[in-house]
Amino acid sequence: MNYFPDEVIEHVFDFVTSHKDRNSISLVCKSWFKIERYSRQNVFIGNCYSISPERLLRRFPCFKSLTLKGKPHFADFNLVPHGWGGFVQPWIEALARSRVGLEELRLKRMVVTDEGLELLSRSFVNFKSLVLVSCEGFSTDGLASIASNCRHLRDLDLQENEIDDHRGQWLSCFPETYTSLVTLNFACLEGETNLVALERLVARSPNLRSLKLNRAVPLDALARLMACAPQIVDLGVGSYEDEQDSESCLKLQAAIRKCTSLRSLSGFLEAAPHCLSAFHPVCHNLTSLNLSYAAEIHGSHLIKLIEHCKKLQRLWILDSIGDKGLEVVASTCKELQELRVFPTDLHGGGNTAVTEDGLVAISAGCPKLHSILYFCQQMTNAALITVARNCPNFIRFRLCILEPHKPDHVTSQPLDEGFGAIVQACKNLKRLSVSGLLTDQVFLYIGMFATQLEMLSIAFAGDTDKGMLYVLNGCKKMRKLEIRDSPFGDAALLADVNKYETMRSLWMSSCEVTLGGCKRLARKAPWLNVEIINENDNNRMEENGYEGRQKVDNKLYLYRTVVGTRVDAPPFVWIL
Amino acid sequence: MEGCPRSRETCPKLLDLIPQERKWYHNEEKNNSDQEKKLELRLAPPGGDEEDLSAMKKTNLDTRNNIKKEAEDKPIFNLSGNHFSPSNKTTYAPPHISHKRTAPGPVVGWPPVRSFRKNLASSSSSKLGNDQINKSGEGEKQVEPKRDGMFVKINMDSVPIGRKVDLNAYSTYEQLSFAVDKLFRGLLAAQRDASGGEGEEKPIIGLLNGKGEFTLTYEDNEGDKMLVGDVPWQMFVSSVKRLRVIKSSEISSALKFGCSKQEKMRN
Repeated sequence: MNYFPDEVIEHVFDFVTSHKDRNSISLVCKSWFKIERYSRQNVFIGNCYSISPERLLRRFPCFKSLTLKGKPHFADFNLVPHGWGGFVQPWIEALARSRVGLEELRLKRMVVTDEGLELLSRSFVNFKSLVLVSCEGFSTDGLASIASNCRHLRDLDLQENEIDDHRGQWLSCFPETYTSLVTLNFACLEGETNLVALERLVARSPNLRSLKLNRAVPLDALARLMACAPQIVDLGVGSYEDEQDSESCLKLQAAIRKCTSLRSLSGFLEAAPHCLSAFHPVCHNLTSLNLSYAAEIHGSHLIKLIEHCKKLQRLWILDSIGDKGLEVVASTCKELQELRVFPTDLHGGGNTAVTEDGLVAISAGCPKLHSILYFCQQMTNAALITVARNCPNFIRFRLCILEPHKPDHVTSQPLDEGFGAIVQACKNLKRLSVSGLLTDQVFLYIGMFATQLEMLSIAFAGDTDKGMLYVLNGCKKMRKLEIRDSPFGDAALLADVNKYETMRSLWMSSCEVTLGGCKRLARKAPWLNVEIINENDNNRMEENGYEGRQKVDNKLYLYRTVVGTRVDAPPFVWIL
Repeated sequence: MEGCPRSRETCPKLLDLIPQERKWYHNEEKNNSDQEKKLELRLAPPGGDEEDLSAMKKTNLDTRNNIKKEAEDKPIFNLSGNHFSPSNKTTYAPPHISHKRTAPGPVVGWPPVRSFRKNLASSSSSKLGNDQINKSGEGEKQVEPKRDGMFVKINMDSVPIGRKVDLNAYSTYEQLSFAVDKLFRGLLAAQRDASGGEGEEKPIIGLLNGKGEFTLTYEDNEGDKMLVGDVPWQMFVSSVKRLRVIKSSEISSALKFGCSKQEKMRN
């Protein structure tokens, strides 16, 4: 290989796209490191505080696409207070100053501002793709800048962000000459949409493949949009509230029949019960279906739709589908790879919408299933053991039993054996979330068998530090460990400080860790940022120790970094 | 070292997917983790004082010690069909009683569901719940007392912006009617003002008896449009999906598309 000129080697490297593989390549020898450095197109940074923009630019001067992630995962559930961090501004500024020809920016759980979006839109002539997932801090004014200035924009994909909707005219900011749109997703916007501007934009976008509308786009507009975009592959319906036989409904049905390329359906943010029947003609081609926002659609209608979806690979649904509905999925969707069942009733108020039976049915019926997220109110070891036997191919297995500490509802045992069966059978398991009543035993199993495990989420589980130790010692490939409300303390935290250098991050909240323990850890490991997120009055906590009646709810978040303590931490974050 | 963490104990025989006559041996130290000095600031879950928590911890340890003693005497995980015969319980007492932390109310960030999913769940859960109960074949409708609000949408003819009303906050139709007046009086006046009519605020009355300018209707869990006021309040709350305030003069046309139970009964 070393006898080939650099250009040849570079050409070979072009076929290597995964980040892990490219990282491995760069470790082979100096010349490969150099070639790889200059040819890397896509850079992925899983924790924006692990490195600085300057170091990124020094190492990879020629990249085109950057993916950045900010806040820890538990921020999705309001465990990280506002203002904690994850600001993208310094990154955009640094990139704008450099000569990097940025074409794509993908951000997850970061704070973005209108100024940042404006700067982004003006700084990169070839900018093509903006994907924002679970971000916040900006408004539709920022979107207007993107629309106005990015001449070659292909993708504007806003997934589940908190956007301040000024109900402005951002859609009409796309110039009349602009025709290169491929992806447009604004489903998360709450306000009114300029329907005329939207329709004109869609009409002049022959390459449009993915269109996801917000709830302000009514049925008649949807009908018109689909009529001028029959090439659409991925559709997110906004609002579907109309009488079954109205004119708009009929027009929509006619338009849908022409959408022979449609493969993915989502949305239904506001939905009348009968709306799904309009989509029956295209079901046989669907590979992805996300009805998890459609709380108003009844289980029976969901089932009627799914009966037609024989090619489905991905299904996100609410538990209103019930065990019976999951049996229909199991017998119909033989290509199913990923299933997510979300809860409708969050307080376990007696409605056993889906149970362990539904899970077992799916595992028995869908041989290609490899990813599951399942919210339910009850589970048994027997069911999990059966699932493990039926489906040894899980890569992601996330089970959330709504009531903390809930045991096997038939035997009253902890669910250790059930999860143990899962980790033993599923040799490729990379992500696991456990729930229900669990002792240290389950962590022993995880440490022994889950050799490929990279991400583990623990809540209300375990008895002693041993539980956490089993995991830290056993799971050699662990990258992200997040724990809440479990009795793990300093002994576990401090047992193997070097372990954290092999991981991206550790989160522990409402556990038994003490401030003293965290300080000791920070001293032993200067290459870690050890952050305490303190939501109470900081000063009083430091001085007086544990105030009697005061709510103590501190959180520990630590992560490896090569750039030391971050400078943008708010006062309630102590970096030890 | 592979597969056996901290090999000071014998590696336990691990469970087999097919149950056999195997007993599980579990060598555990009686000793639990050292007591940390309570002088240090503790990162602990919410609720209770320090004294309470340390007392709780002591009882936890005591209970745990007792449990562990029992456990060592007998094999814990007997795989000979234990999991498959529900009547056969082992002597293992679930430890969750000992260290269950009593949170003072709903737990923050639990269940792990994004906030916008929580919002859509709360407005529809009762209606979907009733569907499930019906499907399971139970004769009675369980009216679940919801701890949270039960918010349903309410729209009014000629007012483009809808509102949401918490049905759990009321216990009679009169209270609901009063609430509707409060919600829409200002909006209606503003709307009339904007369209060139008189802008003064007039109370919205007669919603339930057909005598006012407007009448309150609702859509139930079967998709039918109904007049508000016929059934007992709780029955109404358990089947209502959304509300609509319509002009009394348009009642017949508004009910045309739905399966109007009242009309059928009259005929």
